[in-house]
Amino acid sequence: MAYWSWWVTALALSGLTLGFWWALQRPLGVSGSWARVVLRSNDKILNQAEAGFRNNPQLFNDALMRATVEEFGEEAVQALLTKRAGQAGSGAVIAGSALPVRTPWTAHFTFLAMLVAGGAIAAADSGRLGLHFSMGEVYRQLFGQGVAAWLTLFVGGVLVGFGTQMAGGCTSGHALSGAPRLVPASLLATAVFFTTAVVVSIVISFAATVGGVS
Amino acid sequence: MNPSTRQHLTYGVFGLLMGAVLSFTGFSNFGQIHNMFTLSDFRLLAGFIGSIALSMLGFFLLARGKKIPRKTLNKGTIPGSVLFGTGWALTGACPSIALVQLGGGRVVALFTLFGIYFGVWAYRRLASGGLALNTAICGEE
Repeated sequence: MAYWSWWVTALALSGLTLGFWWALQRPLGVSGSWARVVLRSNDKILNQAEAGFRNNPQLFNDALMRATVEEFGEEAVQALLTKRAGQAGSGAVIAGSALPVRTPWTAHFTFLAMLVAGGAIAAADSGRLGLHFSMGEVYRQLFGQGVAAWLTLFVGGVLVGFGTQMAGGCTSGHALSGAPRLVPASLLATAVFFTTAVVVSIVISFAATVGGVS
Repeated sequence: MNPSTRQHLTYGVFGLLMGAVLSFTGFSNFGQIHNMFTLSDFRLLAGFIGSIALSMLGFFLLARGKKIPRKTLNKGTIPGSVLFGTGWALTGACPSIALVQLGGGRVVALFTLFGIYFGVWAYRRLASGGLALNTAICGEE
């Protein structure tokens, strides 16, 4: 079965991007899910800290006030409070009760696991499912096979993991959800990672051709 | 349904859909990705650009006046993207594609996945150790 045409691809990717945002009210982003899964031990610490604040909003307000005073100085805070006390309707704002609820890391793990499942179902449906111990013929021509190929995949994977965290996003977060909203960081990131991939791919392709001839 | 169950379900459904789409479109096939990057086949590239154009229209219609978190530009944006682009060219995988490859039975994608896991861990380790390049990540600002 042939792969989907360019316009079906466009419709499907855009549908996913918009649908995800519509359903979860946050932009689609796979590298973010990776970070939450890798750093899952942080969740416990953060939840404990937040639970303390949630059960005692006054404690949160006090902590917030203390941090504000440390940052801006007591005089500035006092001046602001005096100013606000004169305004009508200004009561104490209990910020602790407005803490956002954290998506559990297990939801992000479910997302990643279901990407595997979705890939398996689609591959089975199009007759491509099977155990493959290589990335295919094109990969073998470019990088060889066995240990050389495995090492390339691992090193490449490290670059993908490290790079997406450093760049603050990946294909889904920067290109699919950020670029359509013309977010400068996303436009720049998309242009840079795509151009880099094009240059590296052309160089590798050229090197493999030359290497194959000689 | 409690919020946690709903989140697990929603994330799960979108993972399933996205995994299927990436497979049906050929994004999980290294040869297809390589042809896109060497500019010898414009099907995936056109699909990609088409998606951005459609989403632009979609966000304009659906999200007017709504606040959506925007990623911020920082010191890591350019060097991080260079590393990611290189890794994508070497593996054919972005953080989601490696999982879809595994689903399709490409057992060797496990090497890529171990790499990604280690890369994410290493960056976070360095970033929290005073390297402080960026802490805002995809979807979790």
